[in-house]
Amino acid sequence: MHLPHGTLKQEFVKKWIMGLQRCKFSNKNMSIFERKKAIKLSADTAMASARKGLTCWSRALISNPDRPVPTTTRRASSACKKIVKRSRRIRRTAKCGAARKGQITRSIAQCLVRKRTQILKSLIPGGEFMNEVCLIEETLDYITSLRVQVDVMRSLASASARASEPHN
Amino acid sequence: MSSRGLRSRQSSGVSRIRDDQITDLVSKLQLLIPQIRGGRSHKVSASKVLQETCNYIRSLHREVEDLSHRLSELLASTDIDNDQAAIIRSLLM
Repeated sequence: MHLPHGTLKQEFVKKWIMGLQRCKFSNKNMSIFERKKAIKLSADTAMASARKGLTCWSRALISNPDRPVPTTTRRASSACKKIVKRSRRIRRTAKCGAARKGQITRSIAQCLVRKRTQILKSLIPGGEFMNEVCLIEETLDYITSLRVQVDVMRSLASASARASEPHN
Repeated sequence: MSSRGLRSRQSSGVSRIRDDQITDLVSKLQLLIPQIRGGRSHKVSASKVLQETCNYIRSLHREVEDLSHRLSELLASTDIDNDQAAIIRSLLM
């Protein structure tokens, strides 16, 4: 399932260039915002199709490229705050045995893991349908692909910037 | 949908294997995230790994947005023809 980095990069470059060729940048009526959207869409589509349907996130991204990504989730954090408040109250009122403390620490840790898993699910395309094992596997692959995407886009940006500099 | 089936089939043996799987995957994730990878040979908590993973993904998303914006300015005037496409491809590979 995992492609070596070089192959993944080649696939991405090939597909992204194909996508960029389809963009009509010379169209004067295109706003800079529309151009940016077209570039990002071509980059995301290329990144996803480079995985050749082998991962959930890539299939989800292709079928829904414009999904809004939430920046925060509030619901899980309020549950977490309740547990922390409850644990503080218990510590204040009772003579807390070591076992009790361990229990509280464990439940806070579990709460944090649950909360952060929810956030991760919202960040990975198609994540909301994944169980924990699948989610982490998909995350590993998604991060690798994102790094290739950023790497290539950065190279093109610096090459284009150099090309557009006036020659001395 | 799949997690409901997994829960009903779960015995202690299955959940132990699954926990091991998850621990293994979390340690792989730890290796990928630059913030927690460097020099740390001892274990980082799962919640910390998840938190840093989310932060890292968000920063990668932001970079893609910024780079798309930069490129929309740099690629403003010309369409990419086949010759240029070949040049760019060889440049980026």
